[in-house]
This record gives sequence, C-alpha cells and structure tokens, in this order.
Amino acid sequence: MRRHLIELVLFSTYAELRAEAARSYLGLIWWVLEPAMMMGAFWLVFDVILKTGGPDYLPFLLIGMTLWQWMKSCITHGGYAIWSNLTMVRQVNLPPIVFPLVAMLSDTVKFALIFLLLVGILWAMGYPPNGSYWALIPLFAAIFVAAAGAGFIVAAIVPLVPDLRFVIEQVLTVVMFLSGVVFPLGQVTGLLKTFMQFNPVAVVMDDARRILMHDQLPNWIGFWKVCVIAIVLCAAGALLIRALAPRYPKLAS
Amino acid sequence: MGEIVIELEHVGVAFASQRNLAGARYWALEDVNLTLRRGERLGVIGRNGAGKSTLLRVIAGILRPDRGTIRRAPVSCQLLSLALGFVSHLSGRDNAILSGLMLGLRRREIEARLPAIREFSELGDFFERPIATYSAGMNLRLAFSVAIQVEPDVLLIDEVLAVGDAEFQEKSAAALRARMGEGHTVVLVSHDEAQIRERCDRVLWIEHGRSVREGGRDEVFAAYHDVLEHPAPA
Repeated sequence: MRRHLIELVLFSTYAELRAEAARSYLGLIWWVLEPAMMMGAFWLVFDVILKTGGPDYLPFLLIGMTLWQWMKSCITHGGYAIWSNLTMVRQVNLPPIVFPLVAMLSDTVKFALIFLLLVGILWAMGYPPNGSYWALIPLFAAIFVAAAGAGFIVAAIVPLVPDLRFVIEQVLTVVMFLSGVVFPLGQVTGLLKTFMQFNPVAVVMDDARRILMHDQLPNWIGFWKVCVIAIVLCAAGALLIRALAPRYPKLAS
Repeated sequence: MGEIVIELEHVGVAFASQRNLAGARYWALEDVNLTLRRGERLGVIGRNGAGKSTLLRVIAGILRPDRGTIRRAPVSCQLLSLALGFVSHLSGRDNAILSGLMLGLRRREIEARLPAIREFSELGDFFERPIATYSAGMNLRLAFSVAIQVEPDVLLIDEVLAVGDAEFQEKSAAALRARMGEGHTVVLVSHDEAQIRERCDRVLWIEHGRSVREGGRDEVFAAYHDVLEHPAPA
C-alpha cells in the first residue's frame, strides 16, 4: 500500500510537471523566467529607485526571493491542492495528503532548476561555490518540511473554508516583508527584533546567505529551533488532514 | 455459501447541503442494511435519488458512514471509474499509467498491461499522443480500456457497462461480462433491469436512502414491480 502511494505521488508529480510545461508556448522556460521577472521588479524598486540596497544587495535579494518563492509556492499550491481535487476525492479512496504532496514535490523540482541557475549567477557575481555548500542539504530539508507542514495545515482547512484563500496570499506577503527576504532586518530593534529571532523564515534566510555568500556554516542553535518547528508543523498538518479526511468527500460541490 | 466480505447495518450518510460553516446536512442514505459474500454478484436497484451511487461509495471506502456500522474483511474494493485523473496534455500512455495508479494498480502491473490497453482501446499511434487531440469517443475507449484492467477483490460498477460507438459498446460490454463471470465479487448499480437480471444473483432494493428488500433476484424484482404498479396512496 505504501509503495503504491509512493509510485502514485512520484508519477503524479511527473505528470503535473509535464502537463504544465505543455500548457504554454515557452513551456519549461517559464519556470525560470517567471521568478526572474519578479526578482527584477524587486531589484528595480528597492535598489535602483529607492536606493535601499547596498553593495551586496543583488545577491542578497536573489537568494531571498529564490528561497521565498519555493516556500510560498509549497504553501499556496500545496494548500489549495485538496480543495482543487475535490472531484477526485469524491471518486477514489486515496489519502488526501497525496494531493498537496504532489503539488509540493513539483514545486521543489522547479526550485531545484532555479537554484542551479542562482548558483551560476552568484558565481558570475564573484560568489563561487564553497566548502560550506554541504550545509545546504540539511537547510533545504528543514525548509521543505516546514513549508510542507504549513501547506498541509492550509490544505486541511481550505476545503472546509475556501474563503481562507483570499487571506493566505496577504498573510504570506506580510511574512515575506517581516522575514528579511527583500531587505535586511539589521536595523530592526526592540520587541520586533526578539520576534525575528523566533521567525523560522528569517533564520533560514540568514543561514542560506551565510553559506552562499560568505562561506560560513549556519547558526546551528537557530537551525535546530527551525527543525523542531518544522517537525511540529508537519506532524500537526498531516494529523489535521487525516482527522478531517472523512469530511472532504461529503462537502457540497 | 461464501464468507461475508462486507456487511452494513443501519448505515446512514449525510452530506453538507451548502458550502458554508453553518450549512445544514441532508441524509443521502438513511438506513441501509446489506450483506455481501465472496463470489456474489449483487445488483442494487431503486429510483433516481434513492442513494445507490452513495451506497457504492460507502462500500468502496470513499465515504465513511455518519451512523450505523460497516464491517469489512481485509479485501480491496474498487469503484470502476472512467478517466480517473486524466490530464489532457499527457499522452494516452501516460494517462493510462496515471489512471491505473489512481485505481489501485502498481506501476509494474500497469506497464505490463499497456500493450493490452493499447490494443483494446484501438487507438493505434494516437496512444502516444496527448489526449487533448482525442475525440470524446477515443477518450472513452482509453478510459474503459484502463478501468477494465483493475482486478480488486470487490468490483463496484455504477452504470458504466458500455461506452463509445456501437461496435465498441458491444466489445466493452462483452469484456465486462467476462470480468463479472470470472467469479469476482461484484456490486452493480443500474437502471437497466435486464442487465441486473442477466448478471446478478441477488438484488438489494433501496428507496429514499433506506433498504426496502434484499434477497433473491426474482423475489426482489417481483416486490419492486408490485410497488411500481400499485403505489401506496400518499
């Protein structure tokens, strides 16, 4: 049973990526072009027009946006996956967690391609691959588990309260600005600074830049806190989906 | 007499009638009793809205009862669903694998059956092309060819006995007849009395979500016709 589900998730991920590539004229190119256009827009506003950046601003922004887009797409695409597959949920006896997992895995494959491009760009800008790169493996694993956990929680609730979709995007935009994705949080003081130390997104952003830009290992204490938060989120999300699963096929269409 | 594989006692299933938090519920199944034995071919009859399709989804394990009890032996139950999970930009081959996985087959099982699916569907070279290029008939042929490969312990069929043009209808009906004749346990929902008479040993009659009668085919049909011809005064 478990092997069958793994095969189903992997083939569905392949099917989703293949279908997505076939849906537009430029196909796979959009996977890279779309985030590149968004990074360009942020660079234009914050660096060129507002002059809030500094000498390292462009690599800072590129790393932040690449990781953030991955997290955000896992949370939103994964979060809407059960709701958008309710027709299938009514037809077949499958654990509903399959649907968000497929969405998250396909977003992760796209992230892998974008990340390879990012490494090339960073190298060209004078930040070559370095000996601390190995730490990206546990860091990315923690990011995926945390994003998947948040996505599972959203995925569990959205079929029951579809209106939540209108709120999620706005909440994520606020989280992005409070997590050092677009601009550094060095000048933040007081209560907000304390809050930032517990914000897992801010911690992983900082760790990724330490590795990719400065050849330094992550702040391990902060990293282990993120791991605990990620595991708790993931377990809570998976349990919530399991608990609510009997209700999904009975929802009004 | 075979062992009991599924047993329902006073089963009721309620659906949300509206998409909101305080929405009322309605009972699609109110009180259904059913006993299914291994190797049995059970027909389910009843008028539109009686709850027949809901009952199949309860047996398949898709819907969990809100009241009553369901007991099942460790058996696989699969609803024969056409075009399950089909993606229009994928080839017939990829869709056959995807749909087969959704229907509970392992990947190696589907891949071993791909030549048979291709041949049965009569798609030829179109099997390798995106199904977005298919006609509705070609789509149904592929969908049926995949679905007929599934071999659960209990096969659940909801009115999909023959699809496509006249020639393929005959072929698909024959394939299904052959599958039902192989000694599988089958539950068949149909409005077509002739089909139920031809293919089922026992019949369950339900109305307004309640079991009215369950028993031998001739006995249940006699009671059913009696009520249809002499309805009780309102």
